[in-house]
Amino acid sequence: MADLLTPQLNAETPAPDWLQARRLAGRAAWESSELPTRKTEAWKYTSLFALQQPFMAARESAESAEELGLELPQLAGSRLVFVNGFWREDLSEIEPDAAIELVRFSEADQSQAALIAQHLGSVVPGNKHPFSALNDAVLADGVFLRILKGSKAARPVQLVWHNSPQVDAAINSQRLLVLAEQHSEATVVEHFSGQGHSFTNGLTELILAAGATLSHSRLHLESAEALHVGGLHAALERDATLNSFHVAFGGKLKRIDIVINHLGQGAHCQLDGMYLLRGQEHVDYHTCIEHAVPHCTTDETFRGIVGDKASAVFNGRIHIHPDAQKTRAELSNKNLLTSATAEVNTKPELEIYADDVQCAHGATVAQLDESMLHYLRTRGIPADEALVLLSYGFINALVEKQRLESLRDYLKPRLADYFGAALAVDSDDAGG
Amino acid sequence: MLSIKDLHAEVEGKNILKGLNLEIREGEVHAIMGPNGSGKSTLGHVLSGRPGYEITQGSVEFLGKDLLELDTEERAHLGLFLAFQYPVEIPGVSNMEFLKASVDAVRESQGASAYDTVGFMRRAREACTAVDLDQAFLKRGVNEGFSGGEKKRNELMQMMLLEPRLCILDETDSGLDIDALQVVASGVNAMRSESRSFLLVTHYQRLLDYIEPDFVHVLADGRIIRSGDKSLALELEAKGYSWLDDGEVA
Amino acid sequence: MSQEQIDRAIAKDYAAGFTTDIESDTLPPGLTEDTIRFISAKKNEPEWLLEWRLGAFQVWREMVGPDWAHVDYPEVDFQSISYYSQPKSMEDRPKSLDEVDPELLATYEKLGIPLHEQEALAGVAVDVVFDSVSVATTFREKLAEAGVLFCSISEAVQQYPDLVRKHLGSVVPRKDNFYAALNSAVFSDGSFVYIPKGVRCPMELSTYFRINEANTGQFERTLIIADEGSHVSYLEGCTAPMRDENQLHAAVVELVALDDAEIKYSTVQNWYPGDAEGKGGIYNFVTKRGLAHTNAKISWTQVETGSAVTWKYPSCILRGDNSVGEFYSVALTNNLQQADTGTKMIHLGKNTRSTIISKGISAGKSSNAYRGLVRVGPTAKGARNYTQCDSLLIGDQCAAHTFPYIESKNPTGIIEHEATTSKVSDDQLYLCQQRGLDPEKAVSMIVNGFCKEVFKELPMEFAVEAGKLLEVSLEGSVG
Repeated sequence: MADLLTPQLNAETPAPDWLQARRLAGRAAWESSELPTRKTEAWKYTSLFALQQPFMAARESAESAEELGLELPQLAGSRLVFVNGFWREDLSEIEPDAAIELVRFSEADQSQAALIAQHLGSVVPGNKHPFSALNDAVLADGVFLRILKGSKAARPVQLVWHNSPQVDAAINSQRLLVLAEQHSEATVVEHFSGQGHSFTNGLTELILAAGATLSHSRLHLESAEALHVGGLHAALERDATLNSFHVAFGGKLKRIDIVINHLGQGAHCQLDGMYLLRGQEHVDYHTCIEHAVPHCTTDETFRGIVGDKASAVFNGRIHIHPDAQKTRAELSNKNLLTSATAEVNTKPELEIYADDVQCAHGATVAQLDESMLHYLRTRGIPADEALVLLSYGFINALVEKQRLESLRDYLKPRLADYFGAALAVDSDDAGG
Repeated sequence: MLSIKDLHAEVEGKNILKGLNLEIREGEVHAIMGPNGSGKSTLGHVLSGRPGYEITQGSVEFLGKDLLELDTEERAHLGLFLAFQYPVEIPGVSNMEFLKASVDAVRESQGASAYDTVGFMRRAREACTAVDLDQAFLKRGVNEGFSGGEKKRNELMQMMLLEPRLCILDETDSGLDIDALQVVASGVNAMRSESRSFLLVTHYQRLLDYIEPDFVHVLADGRIIRSGDKSLALELEAKGYSWLDDGEVA
Repeated sequence: MSQEQIDRAIAKDYAAGFTTDIESDTLPPGLTEDTIRFISAKKNEPEWLLEWRLGAFQVWREMVGPDWAHVDYPEVDFQSISYYSQPKSMEDRPKSLDEVDPELLATYEKLGIPLHEQEALAGVAVDVVFDSVSVATTFREKLAEAGVLFCSISEAVQQYPDLVRKHLGSVVPRKDNFYAALNSAVFSDGSFVYIPKGVRCPMELSTYFRINEANTGQFERTLIIADEGSHVSYLEGCTAPMRDENQLHAAVVELVALDDAEIKYSTVQNWYPGDAEGKGGIYNFVTKRGLAHTNAKISWTQVETGSAVTWKYPSCILRGDNSVGEFYSVALTNNLQQADTGTKMIHLGKNTRSTIISKGISAGKSSNAYRGLVRVGPTAKGARNYTQCDSLLIGDQCAAHTFPYIESKNPTGIIEHEATTSKVSDDQLYLCQQRGLDPEKAVSMIVNGFCKEVFKELPMEFAVEAGKLLEVSLEGSVG
């Protein structure tokens, strides 16, 4: 493991004592753990070979947005921009909102620091996730978002995590902790972007108190060379609702672990995700829904299109603990394999220890539907164009489910562009 | 316009059409009636070029071209339109995106310029109104979650926008209530013209109360066994399809 | 309905749990090269087979047991097992059924498997294996008329050495896995079937396995070869006495279906499952695999109700173009039984098709996992798989799991997997009771309905038996 780490580990970046202590603890935990191999069940289809090289600590960058190739998403609301793990005040925009507290770890006041200390790492089982320890070890700074009890954030909160190409292969950590207090409501969008072959470790922790509603999106729009091993861990208390949306384009190696813990009765999670792979890209989504208590529900849908020499891995586990009666959990994973050299490995898993539950999962690896293709052709749309339109539709169906209109508007042209679909009409204007 | 000669076709190795002949001239409305399993729907699919429908014998000429040589979309470009009995749902692709792609492709093939976005949307909204569909349907996925009647009206709306030369309506009337049937019929009647022809495939005579055909044909066991004017349909309605079995077919 | 009623409804005894009091020659526990030499010598095997066994033993010693299955049991002490046991009366192999020890015949009579041909199930030829040896094979003459070879594998080694040598280990290589390697080293007996070209086997073939002796393991080996264009349906059944110790059963079954051949392999597995407290029972660690050549079809049907721990994945390698693999399974666990069972469908040839229908029923405090692999290789153009896994839970103390692995490297393939979970609901039971059915009958009816798709794949005689077996196995589970 030591190979992977540089001596600095960002320990020299100034930070409050509590953060420094966390870095050192993370470093110790990382160094004493072993890098998983393909003999480890959870890493059966993903090789970490690309990480077997020395990485330097990422350096602060002062380049402009243009120089960085950074396209700032305009989803309205506050926007915090980090480049190589360091905050960029000049690119960020903070809109005052009485419903939320939005601070960096390094600037947290005493009461905020106490909340961070209480919750950071509280839903991440460190022994199972060595990369979470690595995140602590390498962390330059993180973001704490608190949504105050009974309040609704007026506008979405955006986080942009960007990497600039660096001289040496660089490693950096990105960390978001969201504390949604009782009956609060907010929307958060995380963008991961950048060029070069940096190794990024993005870790998101969501704590939803009773009755809280949180919409959270994690958009991985990094370059085809990017390395990213990260995760999302969420804890849902009674009647909390989490809408979690994941998008992954490209990446030489992307491994995202999503763990949702239903800890209070009546909690609900809608988890949607999509992956679009070309070239020699590799994306691995491992999701795990822990139903620890009765009366919780989960709707999970992941879709992927995999072409060229790319490979996709999906592992969707639903774990119903003893006594988690009256659970309803459904998972669907559909894949389109579009090339003879591409590969899809999918494993939906059900692990059930309670009898009065409704659980189902389905997975397919197939082609686009023949009858849809025919229908489009009878309307004069040429076969190749029809394929493009249907591929777009296959993925766009998930985008349409997302409630944040500006997010849909942001993603749809990118998707159309990705597929080369000539979609002249923006359907959202059609109702007029 | 359309000339079908001795057409034989099979689906999954089973002979469905067994020597069908049919001539449709410009401006004519033809109705094909027949019992279940007679091959009515197969005819529409064969003419549109659905995969899995194999022509084993015969010829089809459409506007002077050998139709059977053409790809499905090329047939559409020529002006052949099939309103499906069971239109497929395409989640994720909005009706508007789909319609624009379709109309653009057809117009481009005919050398016409594409509508500008604003102009097209206006036309689409008008078509919606004409078939009594809420404009919200334009935003929804193609046929996604539409009721049976809404799907049929959506088919009709596409037909209006594409302005085809030959419209084949495959049991468009089945499953419609009277109000919806009238909407469909008035849409079709409004589109009737000197240069546009219709082929109505139906199980019931009632559609023909609203759309008056020039010719009525009875299809049984893969062939047209009787042709006549609209009175044939009324006779069929009164006596039932078994009447034919007892007659010359038996 | 109360837990008590349900418990009562599913508490019955294991009917095959008696012990046959017969004198046996049993090898003392322990496993060394000498053990293997002893077994090989006892069977008068040719040198190549001894070498083959010793090679497997070398491999096995380097291996460790699999730990990935969702089962939990104390480590097996391979030195405390006896690897060979045969009834004394079998010392001189009986030439015909008339010479077989009446005590043995009575054992099978009691299990419902009469061996006298005049009493036997019409149209079913049976090979019976008692501990480490084959006791008798019925209807051999009749089968010989059709050219069908059906005998114990020990006999086949003597009489058809070329066929055995060619195919043994060709589908399940010695180093395939820990238990397959162990079996290859110490296998004692099992059945051998050869169906000649173009022959449709005139009757059902069946092998009945019985473990009787204490502290013995059973390591049978079955080899079925269906030559081009032939057809055979084969069924195995298994039982063991009730004993407090766990006993090991590590079998290997290899099927070879040559071009256009069809093999239908059915199993009704009713090894002793242990008592309600989880004491005793068989560890059933089995490797079963078939190789399908062009246009061939291999169909596995299993009804698994017995054993304390089951680890079993009957699989198909669809090597030939247009070959077909099927897996129909009912696995029922009750009390403290654990099962991790499923299949692998390996698509290599063009237009290969596979179907997997798995029905898992968990009751008591048991754990029942489906584990399956569908792999579509780059060469398997147009491959098609459909998988349906359903779990039924009876009571809130049991567990049901589904672990399907789907690996596709071909853009023209279509793979579909679906899984659902349900319970025997109070409403269903209430309706049945309101219509006059007792809870036990109601549960068994619901379970039988749940398994119907699989039962219809069994040969008729056994479908009825399987239904009854489920009923018995469920006893004590309704709650």
